[in-house]
Amino acid sequence: MKDFRVHARAGAALAAVLALSVGSSAFAAGATPDISGTYWATEYHAKLVIQGGGDLPLTAMGKDAYAKNQAGLKSGEITDAARKFCVPDGIPRSMASPYPFEIIQAPPGQITMVHELNHQIRVIAMDKPLQTYEQLVAFPFYNGHSVGHWEGDTLVVQTNGFNEKTFLDASGAPHTDMLVVTERLKKTGNQLEDVVTIHDPDYYTKDFSTRFTYALRNEVRLEDYVCGEPHRNINNIKGIPEARRANGGR
Amino acid sequence: MPKTASILGTAIAAAISALIVQGAAPANSEAIPNFAPDDSTSYVLDRAGRGIDDLLPPASGPGPITWDKAHPYVPNGGGRQSTYRVSDLSNPILQPWAREQMKKTNDEVLEGKAPFRARERCWPVGTPGFVIYSLVEPFYFYQTAKEVTIVNQGGPEVRRVHLNVPHSKNPKPSWYGESVGRYENGDTLVIDTIGVTDRTFIDNYRTPHTAQMHVVERWKIVEGGNALEVTMTVEDEGAFTTPWSATQRLRKAPKAPIMEIACNENSEDHLGQYSFPMPVTQKPDF
Repeated sequence: MKDFRVHARAGAALAAVLALSVGSSAFAAGATPDISGTYWATEYHAKLVIQGGGDLPLTAMGKDAYAKNQAGLKSGEITDAARKFCVPDGIPRSMASPYPFEIIQAPPGQITMVHELNHQIRVIAMDKPLQTYEQLVAFPFYNGHSVGHWEGDTLVVQTNGFNEKTFLDASGAPHTDMLVVTERLKKTGNQLEDVVTIHDPDYYTKDFSTRFTYALRNEVRLEDYVCGEPHRNINNIKGIPEARRANGGR
Repeated sequence: MPKTASILGTAIAAAISALIVQGAAPANSEAIPNFAPDDSTSYVLDRAGRGIDDLLPPASGPGPITWDKAHPYVPNGGGRQSTYRVSDLSNPILQPWAREQMKKTNDEVLEGKAPFRARERCWPVGTPGFVIYSLVEPFYFYQTAKEVTIVNQGGPEVRRVHLNVPHSKNPKPSWYGESVGRYENGDTLVIDTIGVTDRTFIDNYRTPHTAQMHVVERWKIVEGGNALEVTMTVEDEGAFTTPWSATQRLRKAPKAPIMEIACNENSEDHLGQYSFPMPVTQKPDF
């Protein structure tokens, strides 16, 4: 029942944005917008910054899970595996990366995100519908399963089929395996924005959004990334020195 | 050196490298070979012939390290008890120090220790070992006008080839090195790599190299797109007495988009047999 409810809601939300976009599309049919390139965030936030302000709209279950995560991360009982072992960060946390990433609009049928951080490859299937919870529950991925489509100049990505080993952010914001993330990626000039909406009704009383922005940095070549090795300098990213101190990092 | 001589020297060098880059280009050299006609095309080591995760000897001339005839290598999946690799130290390509180092790991294997293999411990395999990183995981290609990204699903391991640009003067040594490339004959990606850190091995025999190594690979589409033929030449005076060549062959894998694999989550050393740690962060940088 719960599963049906999630997807009915996600479907309704999708239908609503589709209806909105039909009248406003600036693109002729068949023209695919180009958002390919290398992007690099200019600021980093360990905690999701909620659009419109306020705190995470946690349910009672969500509050318990968040408190448990925060206490565990502090005591060391819970390992932040994305940092310690460099497994994928999950969505949206991988989009908060202070390392550059590349968007490749290839091969046909797919948009590929290549992250320097943790050498993650994120696939956005452009030729497949969003699968149901039941279809994906046996194949849970850290970064979930993403499908996308264009609405005018905006790439709309929906992701579900997550495992429960990741956090929404570095503070330990929790999610269930019923999480559905909707992202709206839009390039304006030399900036890319990703407006991310979280839908996870067991842990959150309502859907909420956050926004990441990235600068186009095509002159930057992505580098090899190995857990625990020295990597490129990210000290210029606003928020990194603070995050590092808070983490007891180097 | 007088300034004019220096400029002349640079011009000659540029002309020579332009010649090398252009080569004797046939008429169809402009065509871009399509390694990824769709999101489900990938290639995996061809195990039908001599296919194992070894660099294979060329038809003639100096070739890569293979196994010691006294200790034949038995790979996984052949219906027999598999073995770890014991390298053939009689191969004349090895400089004395490299042979000495490899004898030590041979001795360890013969004592029953598990040797290092990048795929098993989730380390980058480096160049040219990339093509034999995994026995079963497929390679995916992401081609843009400026770059070819080659990904092995296992790991995943990611390599970047920058198209139609020269090498940097002194690239900082890195796991996969600095790879520049170009297309040739409408069916081949030629990759020229320098700057590979000496922390990687050439192959699964733990063959060492120095950071001065120079590798040229040719990834050629054959059999109408059903297979890739990979040939390579390795030059490294520091580790090898002579340039040598090797081959491998990939075949098209069953159609499927790339899947998420997180190497580090599944490779814990439950039996305590490895002396090589997996990459782990002690102090995160953010």
